[in-house]
This record gives sequence, structure tokens and C-alpha cells, in this order.
Amino acid sequence: MINDYFRFALDSITNRKTRSLLTVIGTVIGITAVVALISIGQGMQVAIDDQFKLIGSNRIIVSPGGGGVGETSNPLMGGLVSAKLTDDDVEFIRKITGVEFASGPVIKPVKVEFEDEVKYLTSTNVPTDAESIKFLKGIEFYIIEDGRYITDEDSDKVAIGYETAHSIFDREIKIGNKIFIEDREFEVIGIYKKVGNPVHDRKVAMSLDRARDMFGMGDDVSSIFVTVKDGFDAVEVKERIEKELGRHRGMKEGEEDFSVATAEQMVGMFKDLLTVIQFVLIGIAAISLLVGGIGIMTTMYTSVIERTHEIGIMKAIGAKNSDIGLIFLIESGLLGVAGGIIGIILGFSLGIIVEFAAQAAGVDVMKAYISIELILGALLFSFFVGTISGLLPAIRASKMNPVDALRHG
Amino acid sequence: MLADYTRLALTGIKQKGIRSLLTMMGIFIGIAMVVSLISLGEGLQNAMLEQFEMMGTNVIMVMPGAGIESMFGSAVPVTEHDVDVIKKTRGVDVVGGLVTKIAKVEYKDEIKYSWVSGFPQDEGRKIIEDMQQMKIETGRDLREGDKYKAIVGYMMAHGDVFEKEVNVGDNIMINDQEFEVVGSLERIGNPDDDSSALIPLETAKELFETDEYIMIMARAKDGFDSEVVAENIKEELREDRDLEEGDENFAVQTMEQMKDSYMVVIDLVRIFLIGLAAISLLVGGVGIMNTMYTSVIERTNEIGVMKAIGAKNSDIMSIFLIESGILGAVGGIIGCAIGLSISKSVELAVKSQGIEYLVASTSPVIIFGAIAFAFVVGALSGALPARQAAKLKPVDALRYE
Repeated sequence: MINDYFRFALDSITNRKTRSLLTVIGTVIGITAVVALISIGQGMQVAIDDQFKLIGSNRIIVSPGGGGVGETSNPLMGGLVSAKLTDDDVEFIRKITGVEFASGPVIKPVKVEFEDEVKYLTSTNVPTDAESIKFLKGIEFYIIEDGRYITDEDSDKVAIGYETAHSIFDREIKIGNKIFIEDREFEVIGIYKKVGNPVHDRKVAMSLDRARDMFGMGDDVSSIFVTVKDGFDAVEVKERIEKELGRHRGMKEGEEDFSVATAEQMVGMFKDLLTVIQFVLIGIAAISLLVGGIGIMTTMYTSVIERTHEIGIMKAIGAKNSDIGLIFLIESGLLGVAGGIIGIILGFSLGIIVEFAAQAAGVDVMKAYISIELILGALLFSFFVGTISGLLPAIRASKMNPVDALRHG
Repeated sequence: MLADYTRLALTGIKQKGIRSLLTMMGIFIGIAMVVSLISLGEGLQNAMLEQFEMMGTNVIMVMPGAGIESMFGSAVPVTEHDVDVIKKTRGVDVVGGLVTKIAKVEYKDEIKYSWVSGFPQDEGRKIIEDMQQMKIETGRDLREGDKYKAIVGYMMAHGDVFEKEVNVGDNIMINDQEFEVVGSLERIGNPDDDSSALIPLETAKELFETDEYIMIMARAKDGFDSEVVAENIKEELREDRDLEEGDENFAVQTMEQMKDSYMVVIDLVRIFLIGLAAISLLVGGVGIMNTMYTSVIERTNEIGVMKAIGAKNSDIMSIFLIESGILGAVGGIIGCAIGLSISKSVELAVKSQGIEYLVASTSPVIIFGAIAFAFVVGALSGALPARQAAKLKPVDALRYE
């Protein structure tokens, strides 16, 4: 029985090739745009998750600046906040229950010169005592791949990021080369592992003491990175730091001049923003699907009118209203699914083209992500668009009076 | 003659009733999207141009660092020394430096973190005030000799930052130092600026223990080209800092350059969004084409009759082109109306957030452009079906049933 319905529906579609083709094109365009945007959006989410895994889920970041305007957990904004975190705070945080270790780097933009070529890069300067080095070795961003770590004795030595070494300057910087930072000579003794994040791949790092000396910074730190002990919950430790450091600095609750965020929160903020942008874009693209659905509806109304006579005959020989309705619903559903299949293929191809274009332009995070869920989801959605658009025409067809229908045409 | 064509076309549209309506709907959704995005984009652009205009086109900004990193506090700061260097540069009229930090502000036991800016007391303050378009609402301006006096922004004065209103004569604490409020500002329209506090420059340097300016602003003398003056400043600073050309660790920008770089970004975003919205117009156009093919098939017999009594190919073609054009144009008119209502609602929504810049543009160019565009989309989509109708052989067409 259902087979017959399908045959009827297919006949109708193949009988009017141009019209069916045009109707399908409408859905194809819409699905293509939506699938391409979702696949790139998901790809970016995955890329961010990968970055998050590099930071590690047991990390907490303390930055200067409290709620309100200063609510920017961006360590780079530190320069604009008048409140300061110091070594004293680092020491204090180390003693809080649940804290494995805490360390405060000094982050400053600097002028870097290599073989008469000048670039402006970020210097992320880290403590060099043995305990700190052990701690840094556990963080993906600070793993030295080539050469060695800077120690207490290395005041005129630096370690540099992967891109700093390999692609920023015309000539590659090698271990043992001399570079000038703010016009002082340093010897390169280590190159960090590539992490795919420009902030860390394009850095230089000297010892914390030397950096403070050079920038005249006293015992300030730009922000404090904290690792949570195994078995402790990062969120709980974060709240404890907030409370105890607040008391230590003589602040009332809710009025702290610093902010504490778990790595998860920081990545979360970023992802939330991305999700909002994604929703807006997909929303705009989805409107073309709506228009495509309207196109299916128009085609189905035409189809009903053209087949009025046929409907009359079917009813006369005993077809029920539901049979007629189903035939037209299947027709519109097929139109939708056909558009969906082609749209999915085109959408993914578009996503991959964008990925390649972005990579050629040096942007790594733009990746097309192809998931089964997306394929099935888009297919199901296009089928829904088809059947819902066909619903009104199908109802109209099923309710026809057989006598009138027979007399038509 | 044309009237007859139009009548015939209208009959075609009316006969199809609900299908014509649906076809137009496809177009008006697309046009509504495009119109609202263009109107908002244009509004945004106008607002920014206006802002730049008010800041004065002859203003030149000097910032520490090269490029974006300068935002985050640079290794080589700009200081009072650079102000002196710039002052002596050929073509420079007045110069002023600005210290801006996020600081703890306390009023009646309530603590908030807000932007606090230190303003110069000499003639340099004028150029910054003009640039930020600050006007005193109550009280007085800061003047030379003031030390622990402050002016508060509109939102801080009117209870949008603290629970209680801050009035002239009240005391506020900034980073635990007491300041007397001597004035408040009119609304600037930007929540960040409106919730900030202003204090004398020297006091700010002392309070925040810094001599780094977030930027220095200079105004070119009348009769001097600001681009040339900017180059002069660059050269003087290079010489003062002993740097080679191309190795600058500071950035000098004229208002014009800054405007251009903003506009490029806004244009890119606009083109992308409008392109995305235009996809639905494309789909709508395909819908018109579909309806027109159907129309041609349904009216085959009629076409045969018309041709038999002497209608030329071009007559038939015109009838169908007019039909599809009307579908497009009507869709365009409705779409325009809906699109403009959308952009007006967005404008109101944004205003309720305290941002007053955005005024959706309703220029006739957008309205007529959109309707004309919709007509063209309609006519273009109808071109193939119309050609098919025109080429029908009268004999075949008459026989068709």
C-alpha cells in the first residue's frame, strides 16, 4: 500500500521535471548554507576544546580587577587595572587548602630584534626556581621541546615560542643564537613546543627576576596561575581562593579587586560568545530554508490543482481522505529530503573549502567538522520542512468533494 | 498597450490566488532581511562617522607599542617627556596626555570598579574634552590647582553605578583616597564613559603610581595637514627615541586613518551578513521562476489563442515578464515595510540598553533601491519562463489541453 503511495508521489515529481528541480534547488541552497555554518561552528568549538585540554581542567587563574567594569578575566588587560597582585598573594595562595602550586608570570609586550629585523612580541616571563620549573613542565604551554628550561642562573638567557623561532623572523632562530629584547642581548637556550595558540607560539620568555628588573616592576605579577591538587574540585578551590584571598587583602565579600576563574569558566565564556554568534548566523541562513519551504508549498498547491481530476477518480473508486493526504505528504517530503541530501553534500564541501582557505590564510581554528548527528539532523530537518510545507496542500486535496473533483478539468 | 499587458499579467496573478501570495512571501522575507540589515548597518556607519566628525578631524593620537598589543600596557610607555617632544613638533597646536585605569570607587560604603581617567589641567584638556564630547551638567569643570577633586559621569551621578545619586559636594573614595565631587557630566551615550570618574592628571599619576599615558592626543594647527603633522610627530619621536624608520615602538594615527580602519571592519561584517541574507532572496527568486513556469504551462492554451489572433513573441514575453516583475515588486514593498520595522525595533532595543548612537537609516535610497531590486529579481527569474512562453508554436499551444 505505502509502496503505491510512493509510486504516485514519484510519478508526480518526475512528470514535472523543471518544477521539481526548481523546488528542490530552493531547499538545497538553504540546507547548504546552514550545514556549512554549523559544520564550521562545531569545528571551532572542537578546536577551542582542544585548547582547553592543553590548559588542563584543574587550573585556576587569578587576575587583578574586580566585578563591574573590570570584569575582564583577560590576563592581558592587567595593564589597565590599577589594582595589583604581588608575590605576597602568590605565596598566600600556595598555602590555601586544595592548591597544588601557584605561580605568577609577568606579561609585557616587548621589542625583539634578530639580525637587524625588529618585531613586537609578547614576553611571558616565568619564575625559575626548581619547584616552579617542575610545575611549568606540567603545562602544555610551557613545555620546552628543543633546548632546556631557564634556571635561576640564566638572567641573560631566553626561551622562545615555536613561531618566534620558525616563522616570525625572515631567518630561523636556533638554539645559541643571540636576540635583542628591548635592546639588551639575550641568548636563546630553549624553544617551546607548538601549541597552535598565537599568544603562546609567538612569545619570548626570560626569567621573572630579569623581567621585573628590566620593566621596573617591583614584586607585581600580571596574573596568577594555580593548579588544583588531585582529588579536589576546581570550583570549590576557586571559591576558597576568592574568600581567603579577599580576607587577606582586606576586602568585603562581593567587592574584591581581583577575579578568580577556573580554566573551564574562561573557556566557557569564550564558547558562549561563539555560540551566540553562531546562532545569529545560522538564524539568518535558516530564513532561506523558510523561503525554500514556501516554495515547496507553492509547488504542492499547483500539484493538487493539476491532479484534481485524478483525486476525484481515486476517491470514486474508494480512496479514503487519509490516502489522498498521505500521497501528497510523501511527495512534499521527498522534495524536502532530495534537497536535504544535495544540500548536505554541498554544505560540507563548502565547509571544507572554507577550512582550506582559512588555513592558507594562517588561521588554524577554522575547521569543518563532519558529524553523523549533523548529517542525520539536516536530513530529518529537510524532511520536516518538506512535509510541513506540504501539510496545507495535502489537507486541501484530501478534503475535496469527489463529485466536484471529477467534474474539474 | 502596456496597460493591456499589465491587466493580463494581473489576471494571471489573481487566478493563482494562494500560490501568488506564497511566491511573494518568498521575496518579501528575503527583502525584509536585507533591508533591515542594510538599514542597521548604515545607521551604525553614520553614527560612527558622526562620532569621528565630532572628535575633530585634525586630531592625532599617539599610543605606546606598535599595533594591537599597545592596548595592554607596553614595555616602552608614552610619558610626559613625549608630550614635550610632540609639543615642539612643527604644526602641532595643543597636546594632552591621558591616564586611564580601572580603579576601586567607593561611595557611602558601596564599592564599585570603574574607569577613572586623569585629565591634564592645562590647554591639553580641551582637546580631550572635545574628543570625548564632555559637557558639564552640574557644578564646574576641573581647573588648575585642583588636587583631590573629581567630576563624575552621567550614570555615576544619577544612581546607575551606585544605589544613591552622587551630587556636587559629596565625597567619593578612589583607591582609598578621598575626592570631592565638583561636577557631573552630561550623558555621552557610552555606558563605559558615562560610569567613569575624572580626576586631575597629576593626582592620577600619583594615585596609580604611574607616569604612563594610555594615549597622547595632539591637534594640528590650522592650515596644517594632519597627515603631514602625524609624519612630523613620528619623525621627532623616532629621533628622540633613537629608532630607525620602521622600527617604531609607538603608533601615530590621525583621526582619518583611524576612521578608515574602523570602516573597513564594519564594511566586511556588513557585506558578510547581507550576503547571508541575500541567499534567501535567491531562493525567493527560484520560487518566482517556478511559479512562472507553472503559469506558462497553465496558460499554454491562452498563449495559443493570443498568437493565433496576431500577438507577437515580444508581446507574450512582455506579459509574463510583467507578471513576474509585479510578483517581485509587491514582495519588495511588503518586505521593505517589514524590514524597516525590524530595524526600528532593534534601534529601540539598543537604546533601552543605554547606547544612543544607533539610529536605523531610512533613506529613500534604501527603500527605492530595495523595491527596484525586488522588481529586477522578479523580472530576471521570469525571463526564462517568459522566453519559453514566447517561443511556443501557436499550433501546438492551441492543441494543448
